[in-house]
Amino acid sequence: MIELLAQTGLNAVYAASYISLVAVGLVLIFGVMGVINFAHGELFMAGAYVVVALYAQRFVPFFIAVAAGLVFVGLLGLLMERALFRPLRDNPLGGLVASIGFLMILQALAVMGFGVRMEYIPPVTQEVIAFSDKVRLPISRLYVIIAAVVMLSLLWYFLKRTRFGWALRASAQDPQAAALQGISVTLTAKIAMFIGAGFAGLAGALTAPLVSVNPYMGHSIIVTAFIVIIVGGVGSLEGAVLASIVYAFVHTFVTTFYDGVIADITGLMLMLIVLIVKPTGLFGSADRA
Amino acid sequence: MRNIFIWTVIAAILFALPNLLSFSQQEVLVFLTINILVVASYRLLTLTGEWSLGHVVIMGVGAYASAMLTKSSGLYVPLGIVMGGVVAGLTALALSYPLFRMKGFYFLIGSFAAGEIIRLLWKRFREPFGGTKGIKGIDPMPDFSVGFYDFDFFEPTSYFYFSAIVVAICLWILWRIEKSPIGLTFQAVHWQDKLAQASGVNLRAYRTLAFVIASGFAGIAGALLAHYIGTINPNSFDVEVMVFVLTWAIVGGTSTFYGPILGCVVLTILNEVVLRELGLEQTRPLIYGLILILSILFMPNGLESIVQKFTRQKERRSLRPEEAK
Amino acid sequence: MIAKALRGGFSRRMFLKSSAVTALGAALPNMTLAAGETIKIGFLAPLTGPVSAWGKPGLDGCTIWAERVNAEGGIKLEDGEHKIEFVAYDNEYDPAKARTGATKLIREDGVSFVMMLGGDTWPGVQPVADRTGMLFSTLLPSDLSPDTTTLVAPTEVHPIYIVTGVQWLAENRPELKTAVMCAQDDALGLPSVATYLAAFEAAGIEMQDDPLLFDPATTDFAPVVTRLLSSNPDIVCLDTCYSDYVHPICTQLFLQGFKGQIISATADFYDQMIAKTSKEFMEGFIFQFPDFDDPALNAEHINFPDANGFYTEYNKRYPGQWGAVSWEYASIMELWKLAAEKAGSVDPEAVLAAMQEGGKGQHAFGEASWWGEELFGIDHALVGDWPVVMIEDGKARIKAFVSIPDWYDQHGDLLIKYMTKYDQMWSQRS
Repeated sequence: MIELLAQTGLNAVYAASYISLVAVGLVLIFGVMGVINFAHGELFMAGAYVVVALYAQRFVPFFIAVAAGLVFVGLLGLLMERALFRPLRDNPLGGLVASIGFLMILQALAVMGFGVRMEYIPPVTQEVIAFSDKVRLPISRLYVIIAAVVMLSLLWYFLKRTRFGWALRASAQDPQAAALQGISVTLTAKIAMFIGAGFAGLAGALTAPLVSVNPYMGHSIIVTAFIVIIVGGVGSLEGAVLASIVYAFVHTFVTTFYDGVIADITGLMLMLIVLIVKPTGLFGSADRA
Repeated sequence: MRNIFIWTVIAAILFALPNLLSFSQQEVLVFLTINILVVASYRLLTLTGEWSLGHVVIMGVGAYASAMLTKSSGLYVPLGIVMGGVVAGLTALALSYPLFRMKGFYFLIGSFAAGEIIRLLWKRFREPFGGTKGIKGIDPMPDFSVGFYDFDFFEPTSYFYFSAIVVAICLWILWRIEKSPIGLTFQAVHWQDKLAQASGVNLRAYRTLAFVIASGFAGIAGALLAHYIGTINPNSFDVEVMVFVLTWAIVGGTSTFYGPILGCVVLTILNEVVLRELGLEQTRPLIYGLILILSILFMPNGLESIVQKFTRQKERRSLRPEEAK
Repeated sequence: MIAKALRGGFSRRMFLKSSAVTALGAALPNMTLAAGETIKIGFLAPLTGPVSAWGKPGLDGCTIWAERVNAEGGIKLEDGEHKIEFVAYDNEYDPAKARTGATKLIREDGVSFVMMLGGDTWPGVQPVADRTGMLFSTLLPSDLSPDTTTLVAPTEVHPIYIVTGVQWLAENRPELKTAVMCAQDDALGLPSVATYLAAFEAAGIEMQDDPLLFDPATTDFAPVVTRLLSSNPDIVCLDTCYSDYVHPICTQLFLQGFKGQIISATADFYDQMIAKTSKEFMEGFIFQFPDFDDPALNAEHINFPDANGFYTEYNKRYPGQWGAVSWEYASIMELWKLAAEKAGSVDPEAVLAAMQEGGKGQHAFGEASWWGEELFGIDHALVGDWPVVMIEDGKARIKAFVSIPDWYDQHGDLLIKYMTKYDQMWSQRS
């Protein structure tokens, strides 16, 4: 029983890692741009396909492919910022529709370039850390956990300790006041989009060998990410991380001890309770509501 | 007098329309008619400034309610359709309690979450909702004859006439609501909520009222759909369908009554008729996505803005001679 | 024109025309083909969207099949040979779009037969089928009901074929005593859960746990696998999981140290699974869908001409895409071709009668019986032998053909018991 609990705990830590990477990116984009990026799941998918194209098909080393995934999807984020969100800055609903259009294009491009079938990605490593016969942590999952911890710490440092981060937070709180302080709204928007999209790409690239990569894989992750950012508070990075952890643990444990469908219902109920008790989420502030 | 003439012409065109189309286009026409009601009811909610992502699920509530009532208790189908609207409205009333504690993007995402919970309930409870396979064998609208025309509701033409009449009545009611003092208050709630509140308007009550009315008509649309296709399942009302409704409304523009309807008609014809006829089965989503982006970038005020430009010019021209007098 | 309409003349004519359409519309358009005219076959399945993996590869297989048939002259009817061609309509796995597509294929394109994936889309098409009398096929017999007499399930008798794998396993590896199972909670998952439960009970294999259901949107299978392995089973059963689930589940089983037997309905792209785990781990994996280069498919009783050549051509054109549905639609066409040639026409009624003559049909895996009354309310599923496939030395090989009707004669009551429990009997389907 203790072994089962330990293994489930390890599973939950892994789930929390990739969910938080995706959710933090989504929150960052919303905070700075004021746009709900519906295409965020497809950015995750695009990161996975970079690994397919480079690592699986062209035998580029895995970590280089992952880095390429982060950069490529970050650039996709910049493209979205320049082509979609900047012209639509005063039209948040327009940004929403544009991101939906972008989502459809990314999906269709993946279908045209790679086919609808699941992609094959050779395992990066089959090494397993065996704490006991029944408590095992595959190294490939450990990579995801490490990457999430490192990247989130870097982001935290960047936001709290650098000038750029200060500017970013300022324009997230009040774009007009920030502009008066001489902060370039366009620059902060670029940074936010690059980091937000890049994190989604990183999560997609890192987990690609562990999940089934297909053009429609973004859908389930965006639903999870929405739940997480509601629980955490739509504008809060700390909230997103904490909510990812809470959601991942609840979902993983309920899946293991009841079943997957009940776990989904539990996740949604958790969200509903948060909404009723504190509509702005655990860490949300009221002024954005 | 002039209005009567215009409406007669429109009625005649609508009457002749299905006979000018191919069979599959007639089918698309039926779904288009029903979707017009969905998107027009959606606009009523947006008047108050709130955008919901749960509208399609609420439409599904109407579909499920009507399908289950007519199936289990043998309720007459048209009454079932009305009941579908009532149940959808009541569901919205219940949901408004948690949802209207939020505004703006919180409401947007909160409504999405509420919709997902409803869909998950349909999936989870095979009894009575039929699980992931949903409900099939839903009673069709019983055929009848009005003397000069035999309604055979398998035929898209017949169902189009029936649904066009229902939708026309609903649109008329929606129009009257919008032009009534209540409708004007909805708009005040959106644009001047502090001011409206100061003048004694109960904001939350009005938001709830708009939500309930919009949901009721969405429920009727859902019921119309259910009794035509004969089957519904949780995936018929998922977020992808909602995305389509949202894009119809925004691409069409929401500042006029006809804007969302225009968006729905144009985008549906593009996606279901033009792109399919061109044989672009696989690239259809790509082109549709491009159209969405281009239209939002270059027509930020929606298709309605083009129409407005056109009609205003005309008005100006027709005004000029009078000015000269 | 509008002014004319207002005066009434036009609209009265429209009245007449529309009521004429109403009266006649139900009948099929004239189905007789001119001599030498190409026969059109409708392909109504998801070609885009998440379910398209169940449609697109099948259409690819049909294209190859049609080229091969046309190269030999085409379909030989009473009035000579006809070429054959497929008309596809993407239904996006949506019942409303499927209905529109069926109308287009039947009334505008003039197809003689419509193949569907079925499932969620079938109930939308059912009224069209009832009214037009068009012959339809589905991959999922759970769409069958006595209400529709022109729908057949002639190839994949999902899920009833999976009893053969369990029976073979019990006979050949009697030391395996306990099993666990997981399945996605959807239209495909539940009927096969019921069937596997019946098959395990019939084989005397004990279930250690209730079947673990997961949402079709699941991507991380570690928690599911942890749960499955917590009771130390001899057998892990993957039900009718899609390859998007089978691969990550097997990878997890490997990484979490499972060493027992795996049984599954499908194992599409098993070579990739071997690469993700190990040859030793996948050795002995049992499933139900052979590669068509299998020598056993050259046997006399197999009704899929030149299966090996078809497989080679498919892999040449669509490398790495071979899967369970690649051959299934083509195999339905083979059955249809035999029936049409026997009937001498493409008239749906005549073809169906020829197809079902004597209650026997030429299934891809040998002569089979039209069956299903007890389960589906109508004998419209073609059931006979089904192959049990095992991975040996990294390659799928047919180990045996096992008779489904023989199993059912002995254990039919068990199947009905579990089907009833999971609300899957035709009379329970609302």
